[in-house]
Amino acid sequence: MSTYGTPGGPTVLDPASLPVDDNVNAYTFCVELKGSQWFLQKGKMIAYYGSIDFNGVGHGRLDRLVRTSFHSPLHASDWVVAEGSGKMLLADRAFDVNSYDLEDGNLTIRSGNLLAFQPTLALKQSIVPGFLTLIGTGKFVAASNGPVVFMEPPIRVDPQALVGWADCPSPCHHYDHGYMTGLMGGLRALTGLGGASGEEHQFEFVGAGTVLLQSSETLMAEQATGAVPPDAGVPGGGGSHTGPSQPAGVPRLPGQLGDLQRRFGL
Amino acid sequence: MAFREINSKMVEATVMPGQKLFSQRGAMLAYKGEVSFTPNMAGGQGGIMSMIGRRVANEDTPLMSVEGSGTVLFGHGGHHVQVIHLAGDTLCVEADRLLAFEGTLQQGTMFLGSQGGVMGMVRGQVSGQGLFTTTLKGHGAVAVMAHGGVFEIPITPQRPVHVDPQAYVAHHGDVRNKLSTALGWRDMVGRGSGEAFQLELSGNGAVYVQASEEKL
Repeated sequence: MSTYGTPGGPTVLDPASLPVDDNVNAYTFCVELKGSQWFLQKGKMIAYYGSIDFNGVGHGRLDRLVRTSFHSPLHASDWVVAEGSGKMLLADRAFDVNSYDLEDGNLTIRSGNLLAFQPTLALKQSIVPGFLTLIGTGKFVAASNGPVVFMEPPIRVDPQALVGWADCPSPCHHYDHGYMTGLMGGLRALTGLGGASGEEHQFEFVGAGTVLLQSSETLMAEQATGAVPPDAGVPGGGGSHTGPSQPAGVPRLPGQLGDLQRRFGL
Repeated sequence: MAFREINSKMVEATVMPGQKLFSQRGAMLAYKGEVSFTPNMAGGQGGIMSMIGRRVANEDTPLMSVEGSGTVLFGHGGHHVQVIHLAGDTLCVEADRLLAFEGTLQQGTMFLGSQGGVMGMVRGQVSGQGLFTTTLKGHGAVAVMAHGGVFEIPITPQRPVHVDPQAYVAHHGDVRNKLSTALGWRDMVGRGSGEAFQLELSGNGAVYVQASEEKL
């Protein structure tokens, strides 16, 4: 907003006047490289000054770097390492971009929202599918639809509005059972009449920490976080699971037809 | 105040026992405390007749009622949100622009033909309102969505306001609106300025305009 109506037209930036590791505007972030390295997701660099090399992750020279700060080996092809000296502009489809500092901390973020991070941070796949965890000290850049709002738990969050969380030990699902069960709930589930409120399922956070929200329910395009090893007991790993034959991943809610069928012995 | 703007795209509503909020279904982003969301089959206030009225008028938006005690964050589709406080006057707004409103407001449906007859209906077609629009009357706050930022233009009897029908969001107060046309031979041969239709609002009140000509 503040750049509107500046006397003399739009501000023209050059390498000297570009901010160092800060936002140029709400949608663009400038990173300064001085022989240092940054990890960035493919296609998020929009311009750069100076001499910067972009190398795919996983090539021999960067092997050591990958070993220390990149722990999603199957996801490596989506990331590049920027190396050299100069200034680099990052942006993502006109979404709001912000940088976050971690100090010996941890933060879990939706994979599509992460743009770039310093190699002093270690990137790991979260146990929660579709999320990535950053651990250590350093700076990272993330995009969101609308400015990010920080909230303290206990809080329940719409699944689509969740960007990430820091230090929260317990992300879990919360279902509004009062809404979904009972005669009306069953009728609604059966017929679709009356509709869902759209809010019968949230993510619940309790304990100490911070929850990051975006101001809209429009998701960023999902980024593959890479497959996890297909072992038993690994969420999303597709390992053998015991118990009744239910399609994995689709929770059966009370009030759905399946329950009625069982009740009537059909 | 029931609504607090957190940023341009998000509002925080405080819910207290005995106070009811209505919000668009699925617009809740997060909440604290014990809050329950119930889908409102009637699509708002009033009895079964109001519901039928809204269905017929195509002004039925999926609404839910929000009750309990706590705070709720609302936002939807990355649209900008504008909170409008009403003190006894009537707000005219399209139903699908309503993000949330307080239960103290009376919801109704208005036939655009009742304001200016056939021209009112034409105006509704041009501004994308259709033949009907939703009215909210009373004391309370409304959160309205718009594409791009919203600004408020006051209307005084001496100074009528002309608005592009596509950028029109809502208006309140004692306002008469009419469609003013500036059609000339250029429009007929396809060389028009693209601004042939304007909404002229006169009277006492305010009109809300969005910084975009895109509909929701």
